[in-house]
Amino acid sequence: MKKLKLNIEGMHCASCVGNVKKSLMNVKGVKDANINLILKSGRVEAEDNVSLEEIKKAVSKIGYKVINITAE
Amino acid sequence: MQHEHNKSEDSEIRKWKRNLVGAWVFTFPIAVLMIFTRIFGIELMDEGWMILITLILGFPVIFIFGWHTIKYGLKGLFTFYFGMDSLIALGTVIAYLTGIFTFFNVVADYSGVAAMIMSIFITGKYIEAKARGRATKEIMKLLELGAKKARVLREKQEIEIDISELVVGDIVIVKPGEKIPTDGIVIKGESAVDESMVTGESLPVEKQKNSNVIGATINQDGILYVKTTKVGSDTFLAHIIKLVEEAQGTKVPIQALADKITSVFVPVILVVSFLTFSAWFYFSNDLSRALGVGISVLVIACPCSLGLAVPISLTVSSGIGAKKGILIRKGEAIQTMKKVKIIVFDKTGTLTKGKPEVREIFSKVKESYLLEIVGSVEKLSEHPLSKALVSKAELKKYKEVKSFKILRGRGVEGKIGNKKIVIGNSSLMKERNIPLKEFSRRIDEFEDKGYTTVIASENSKVLGIIGIADSTKEDSVLAISELNSQGYRTVMITGDNERTAMAIAKEVGIKEVIANVLPEEKAKKVEELQKQGMVAFVGDGINDAPALKQSNVGIAMGTGTDIAIEAGDLVLARGSLDGVVGAIKLSKATFSKIKQNLFWAFAYNIVAIPVAIAGLLHPVIAEIAMAASSITVVSNANLLRRKKI
Repeated sequence: MKKLKLNIEGMHCASCVGNVKKSLMNVKGVKDANINLILKSGRVEAEDNVSLEEIKKAVSKIGYKVINITAE
Repeated sequence: MQHEHNKSEDSEIRKWKRNLVGAWVFTFPIAVLMIFTRIFGIELMDEGWMILITLILGFPVIFIFGWHTIKYGLKGLFTFYFGMDSLIALGTVIAYLTGIFTFFNVVADYSGVAAMIMSIFITGKYIEAKARGRATKEIMKLLELGAKKARVLREKQEIEIDISELVVGDIVIVKPGEKIPTDGIVIKGESAVDESMVTGESLPVEKQKNSNVIGATINQDGILYVKTTKVGSDTFLAHIIKLVEEAQGTKVPIQALADKITSVFVPVILVVSFLTFSAWFYFSNDLSRALGVGISVLVIACPCSLGLAVPISLTVSSGIGAKKGILIRKGEAIQTMKKVKIIVFDKTGTLTKGKPEVREIFSKVKESYLLEIVGSVEKLSEHPLSKALVSKAELKKYKEVKSFKILRGRGVEGKIGNKKIVIGNSSLMKERNIPLKEFSRRIDEFEDKGYTTVIASENSKVLGIIGIADSTKEDSVLAISELNSQGYRTVMITGDNERTAMAIAKEVGIKEVIANVLPEEKAKKVEELQKQGMVAFVGDGINDAPALKQSNVGIAMGTGTDIAIEAGDLVLARGSLDGVVGAIKLSKATFSKIKQNLFWAFAYNIVAIPVAIAGLLHPVIAEIAMAASSITVVSNANLLRRKKI
């Protein structure tokens, strides 16, 4: 299990947050995703085999951009 | 990384601003044209030309300056990731297309309306982004608080290095006016340090050799040589930042309904809007009118205000809290705090300073003999009371103690030579059948003064009694009286006996006391109190973590350089009791702001959507209402700042 912190660009409303969360949760191995619109950040809990690329793709696929991703 | 945060905030505002200016440059002439023709009925030119000009001017507004919204909005419609953008994109594109279809005489022209909706939408987003920036002001400040450089002593040379290169054990030199780069301990020098930015403590704190200092605080008047004890993510400041950031992701229970609605809001509105359009078309047989109403419904619905109501309030509140050293760790605590009736204070370290000192000795033998015995035995214990006794005894040489034993919550015992020494409270003496009778008047006297009374015996004969007291914190009295006057039931919990406890409680103004409680029983006592009402527990998190957890709201107090992060729902960076009053005020103010915001967000949508369905609102008015509602929620949250905490 690993915890990731994302900085996400482009979210500007509450439904954006819902979309990013939904898209991340659809990634296999992602256990939890908490997205914060105001701080433009997200915390993702995922199994170890989930790659950073998959996470980034899930966000970019629906029109937002991950500008930074760090493991905690 | 911290800088990136801020830059992205600015770049978002800049982006909206650029689009805003561009959109209005083209929308303004359209608006003028519309006002002349639609409102004053003045024909400036042929109708066909006018529509053509509107279409040309409107194109960049929607498809260049509004491209982001159009692109993601339409994409969302096909991928089923609906957002606010989907509503606006659909509304404006349909409205724009009417301008083309109008040449075939199928429908009236709404293309001017499309440009205006997009411009207002962008304007609203710009204002909202700015207000959101204000909401995160304090948190961003906190993120950037850390020092960037450190001046270290390496191989007897002073060199300036980047903060990331600093390692534990480095000696850093901090000159007056400079930021202390990281947590450490003073090895040389004396100064006053301003810690307000981290702990909320408004007065400078005196530092000398062996004092702990906190990174990011400002050295005021002397040079300090500091040995680094913590760097990077281990520092006090890093802990505070992490805590504040994590708190943003926690939920306040009241928002559950709003979240549920937000998640289905957009698809529901799409359906409602389509049904509205169909019904209007069916009953009025007027395609133009039906389209206008349908568009109004699309653009008036505002999921933003619903989704933002709670998190934006929480953000503003954790920001202003952090500035005062009040850290909200769990959003839930804000809601629970409102229902709390009973506030339980741990005595040691919470109401008192946690540094007990010997105040009075009554000895049957020579005082120096008593202290020699007591000092030697107590030296082997880590208990705060033992430390007080040892420091009073100030022995140069300790006697050898054999078969030493700690009797939890009661005292200690051991053997010096062939003499059996038992030191502890009166219940320990009773347990060992050591007669106390001739001391009982003295003991009562000590306890009435609020002393914790330690009895020292040798071979079952009492040598003397020692009164130890821990002075109460200066702000205890004021804080407790404020809480009492607010109608809270204040209770003190302690391992002291009833009499001593009552004396201290009286001193600070607490009426109720739970005495003789062993550390591990505290949680149970809290549980018992919970049968009578919601309980907040205030403690330092050192030996009362279970009680903090058991209570409905756990308020953990910092102790100078450590903060009990894990233990509390609310965490105070410094150990002062006015922080408790502040934390309660902040929680209540935040929760009422949350309720206000949710109320307005719900009320807006509940009123506005039916009015739009009824066809009473022009699409432009509908869009203005929508923009205003989400701006209102953010601005209202920013008003929290005015509350005096």
